[in-house]
Amino acid sequence: MNLILIALLLALLIPIYEAWQDDDIWQKMLAFASIATKTSILTLVISVLRDDWMIGVVGVIILSVGNAGLMLLAHLLRRMNYIGNEGTYD
Amino acid sequence: MTENYVYVIIALLPLTASMLVFQTNPYHALVIRGILGAVSALVYAVLGAADVALTEALVGTLLSVALYVVAVRSSLVMRLGVHQDSTAGAEDVCFKEFKDELRAILGKRHLRLELVPYPDAQALHQALMTKEVHATCMGRPKHDKHSSGVGVAEKQPYQIAIRVKHLHDILQSELFSPATSLTYADVSEAIKTDLGTQDLGRAHL
Amino acid sequence: MINLLSYTCIGIGLFFWFWGTWPLVGHRSVLFKLHSLSVADTLGSIAIILGLLLKIPREWPLLVLAILSLAIWNTMLGYVLAYCSSSGGSHD
Repeated sequence: MNLILIALLLALLIPIYEAWQDDDIWQKMLAFASIATKTSILTLVISVLRDDWMIGVVGVIILSVGNAGLMLLAHLLRRMNYIGNEGTYD
Repeated sequence: MTENYVYVIIALLPLTASMLVFQTNPYHALVIRGILGAVSALVYAVLGAADVALTEALVGTLLSVALYVVAVRSSLVMRLGVHQDSTAGAEDVCFKEFKDELRAILGKRHLRLELVPYPDAQALHQALMTKEVHATCMGRPKHDKHSSGVGVAEKQPYQIAIRVKHLHDILQSELFSPATSLTYADVSEAIKTDLGTQDLGRAHL
Repeated sequence: MINLLSYTCIGIGLFFWFWGTWPLVGHRSVLFKLHSLSVADTLGSIAIILGLLLKIPREWPLLVLAILSLAIWNTMLGYVLAYCSSSGGSHD
């Protein structure tokens, strides 16, 4: 089980590296989405590993609510790009 | 708390935090702030602080990042007041070149350019004085009240008046477009006499 | 027996995670990465949670809720990200 956890952490390191080295904002958003999912799954795995309900509830709530924030951020960034490229005032 | 993986998870926190600190683009920094929020929620949950993890995920990642995007979007912008017909006029190509160059210079400092159309030169001047825009671009030199020389305006159809000193210095050193001439418009005195302290709350750049 | 099955599920999920996350490093288009990422992340995560569910069936409401929210939110997020990134990029 510890070995599985280390492998999950390795998988988490890939999008973090990607977010560090890429300059496009949408690639960073992709990495962020990936990291948000992976961290909440890690929380769930640890909750099962320790047999701890409390951490599991936190993981599920982060999983279901964190994605909503991600969508909000994507829409805000899209509006910003739109206005910046068009140069119009609204 | 003697498991080995705990140390690996905690090591992620300074890693993402230093990524956030060394990021210069404000929008990218906000995305990395979201990553930091997700990682720190994981760390707090692993260390047993479920309430702190929940607060970090809901407030720190969701609410504060959304608010900061709105704040950065509305503050990191240069508002340029233009004539309504100058964008559709005969000098369209010339104006577009100037716009692209300005956008490139501002883009290096992560600023956006926002064009605000006004019907005539009077409204344009009024907007600069009341701090509605950071700069105005006057198409017709004969309306210009800040013109330093009339002879120069013949070969420079665009006269730009900027009321932000720092922005003026940047553009003075980097804008090489032959069609424009820059002036610095000091509106701090005018605003005191004209409008009193009504506009003190307006945001400076 | 059940232990072996749960480890198999988690192993499949791990394989999906690595397989879907690896294209993120290359220089492909956003939509290609989004496709592989959303498919592999959702399926891999669901497989991992299924493995956990087999290990500890006592916590089934929590884990079933996690699977449901994962399946719904991740597919929706894929669409939203694709829509936002493509409509933002078309104005370049």
